[in-house]
Amino acid sequence: MSRKENALDLAKFVDKGVRVKLAGGREVEGVLKGYDQLLNLVLDQTTEYLRDKDDPSRISNDTRKLGLTVCRGTAVMMVSPTSGTQEISNPFEEHIE
Amino acid sequence: MLPLLLLKTAQKHPVLVELKNGETYNGHMVQCDSWMNVHLREVICTSQEGDRFWRMAEAYIRGNTIKYVRVPPEVIDKVQEESYRRDEKRPAYTSRGRGRGRGGGMGRNQEGGGGRGRGPPGASRGRGRG
Repeated sequence: MSRKENALDLAKFVDKGVRVKLAGGREVEGVLKGYDQLLNLVLDQTTEYLRDKDDPSRISNDTRKLGLTVCRGTAVMMVSPTSGTQEISNPFEEHIE
Repeated sequence: MLPLLLLKTAQKHPVLVELKNGETYNGHMVQCDSWMNVHLREVICTSQEGDRFWRMAEAYIRGNTIKYVRVPPEVIDKVQEESYRRDEKRPAYTSRGRGRGRGGGMGRNQEGGGGRGRGPPGASRGRGRG
């Protein structure tokens, strides 16, 4: 039975750019160098995307270089590949009207 | 109806996942596991306020950050099919007999030791009548 299986298969992202959202609202981007079952991540050339001073829920384009980091798994909320990620205009517009 | 069974059945279906922080993720569920970690494909992420949107090829979401998941209604019919199939596969109960010895296992020998039995019904514990 699939009780023990893990939906997280990060192998294909190794040595690729990933965007990581962390509990508490920080967001970082970096090259995935390693990971484990607990979702601890090793990121290289890590960049943090700083939040808006007035509105901490908003990510601005200001960045801060962090270099080589370990992200603790318990703080990781979301991982997605950098390639194929872009901000878009409202795709649900017709539903809202 | 087990929640995780419903989620498992929702694989390959479009779902909406809202995180505790209010962000929502719309996408096709590729896989989920017993921690509710979810792997989505062709994702649209919406910010907390619902005013900014991002398209992502895929996203892994950690189960413990999820507030709720919306699943299309047709999924529930498929769950029932699957749970029936599981019942059929389940082997008949054969191990019942082995459990028998256990209930009375603490036999009499041990009970006598304390000398403080329950006594006959109606017997009072106090000394006199007051």
